[in-house]
Amino acid sequence: MPTEEALREMHHQMVRIRLFEETLKSVYMEGKAPAFDIAAGPVPGEMHLAAGQEPVAAGVCTQLRPSDAITATHRPHHVALAHGMDMKRLAAEIFGKDTGLGHGKGGHMHLFDMETHFGCSGIIAEGMPTAVGHALAFKKQGRDDIAVSFFGEGAANQGAFHESLNLAGLWDLGVVFVCEDNAWAISVPKDKATAIANNSDRAAAYGIPGALIPDNDPVAIYEAATEAIARARSGRGPSLIEIKTDRLFGHFEGDPQVYRTPEEMETLEKRDALKKFEKHLAETGVLTADSAKAVWDTAQAEVDEAIEFARESPSPKPESALEHVFA
Amino acid sequence: MTRVGLIVNPAAGRDIRRLVGLASVVPNHEKAAIVRRVLAGLAAAGVTEVRYLPDPAGIVISALDGSTGEIRATPVEMTIRGTADDSLHAAQLLVGLGARAIVTLGGDGTNRAVAGGCGDVPLVSISTGTNNVFPTMIDGTVAGVAAGLVATGRVEADSVCTRTKVVNVATDGLRDFALVDAAVCTDRFVGARAIWDPSRIRALVFARTDPWAVGLSSIGGQLLSLGADEPAGLYVEIGSGPCVRAVLAPGVVVDVPIHGHRVLELDEVVELPTAGTLALDGEREVPIKHSARAWVAATGPRVVDIRATLALARRNGD
Repeated sequence: MPTEEALREMHHQMVRIRLFEETLKSVYMEGKAPAFDIAAGPVPGEMHLAAGQEPVAAGVCTQLRPSDAITATHRPHHVALAHGMDMKRLAAEIFGKDTGLGHGKGGHMHLFDMETHFGCSGIIAEGMPTAVGHALAFKKQGRDDIAVSFFGEGAANQGAFHESLNLAGLWDLGVVFVCEDNAWAISVPKDKATAIANNSDRAAAYGIPGALIPDNDPVAIYEAATEAIARARSGRGPSLIEIKTDRLFGHFEGDPQVYRTPEEMETLEKRDALKKFEKHLAETGVLTADSAKAVWDTAQAEVDEAIEFARESPSPKPESALEHVFA
Repeated sequence: MTRVGLIVNPAAGRDIRRLVGLASVVPNHEKAAIVRRVLAGLAAAGVTEVRYLPDPAGIVISALDGSTGEIRATPVEMTIRGTADDSLHAAQLLVGLGARAIVTLGGDGTNRAVAGGCGDVPLVSISTGTNNVFPTMIDGTVAGVAAGLVATGRVEADSVCTRTKVVNVATDGLRDFALVDAAVCTDRFVGARAIWDPSRIRALVFARTDPWAVGLSSIGGQLLSLGADEPAGLYVEIGSGPCVRAVLAPGVVVDVPIHGHRVLELDEVVELPTAGTLALDGEREVPIKHSARAWVAATGPRVVDIRATLALARRNGD
């Protein structure tokens, strides 16, 4: 069970993630109207936002060390921020600026941060074997750092998912596999793509424990992550945690979401995990109205400063086009 | 036409105890196999119709795929929300539809939800959850035969059914119940629900205990055995005192310090410590704000003794 301090930190992370994603949602669309020109405006390229999935980041990442490695997906901002990535450098990278993590050349789906050992990719399930590699390196180096692999329920049907769980289980590697099941692989519902109802069941096929968190509850996620992280760090091997979470926005910004019913959208809003968590923290005295407001105000100021930093930063020079790339 | 109800919980047996301890997973395809066996048993006993909870994982539909058609099986018409209330609601509908018995697949939590809505309809509970004190670990075919014999009247229900006890709880205006045990837990959040750390438990009230039970009722079971039909309960306070060794979850054996314990009469009300949350059948459920009390009552569901049913049928020449 998280301490009060941990609960407040989880809340703080969830608020700053939500505000970052909501602000990006608005900023991203600047200059892209009337016809949706993906290259136009201050934020070029695609955008996949993680509003609704904050509990996963808060419950897992607040228990990690900076030296632990994370691999993530095309929807990475929540776990990146919760793991300690600098918000200004993240925003600058999203804006394609030279002050960004990848000097503006990676963009929002290709964030690589040596300080927090974070990497992500737009290739489905790519991060899973990478996380296994991180954990193998830690083991060979005699370190008790661990790797956490975040992936979606669609990725659990990729060969890389099975290969990664198998090898991590075979070699007892310190990996925590976290499946963020938001029910949609772009616009494909899970029951049209996956033969079984719960991907956590698949862990048994590789001799590793798997657990299901059914309700996007940050405290439940925290408790499961505590066990999985301890197991990985103590050399007892990998675990799989499946979390039923909510994707509040579309798959990408600009997605008309015609595949989702109004009833689903209404349900999503009603069960917003951040609102529920904040309400419960208030009921249990962990937060007061004033302290909650202070968290929101501080987080908004941080987000505003990061966006302003990104806007004001220079773009990479054309003559640097062949620098910082590997081929 | 004899109608039997079927409630399968697709979520049973997947929680954090897979990480904390060595709890098994019963995959949904195995649950489907159990359902097929149940249907075979029901058909052998002369049941011709089954109405079932249309579980979102499609377990029953999968079980019916390729069936011989001896039993007409149709889902009850209901809105599925993917919560425990689905089982409760299904049980209520099955009662209204005239089900003569209800077969459940799940653990204590599943059966608690069903018990809230099944009224006097006898239950045949097959274990597929984590805490399995209430349901029975038994082959689905045998369970199906027993359910069918009771539903068709070939075995008199009153001669093989027991009215089980429950632990009633009341806190801050809310009323609820547990089939096996209620615990005061110091955690202020429901979180992952399961309890596996004795240092977070303050007090327990048991409707039944066995020394071979797994879960919180293992604590009571190390102090005394309290049968499902004995007209009594047990109250235990956790704290400084001699320890008992209890199996709090599969693979989790811990020493639990017992401050005191006493047998409760039926309907005797005990005031509980006001701390954290109330856990019902091993799962944190209800935050306690100001006060909480509990009492054991013989007002639970009627449960079919599967073994006794088959033995009586044999004696009757069935």
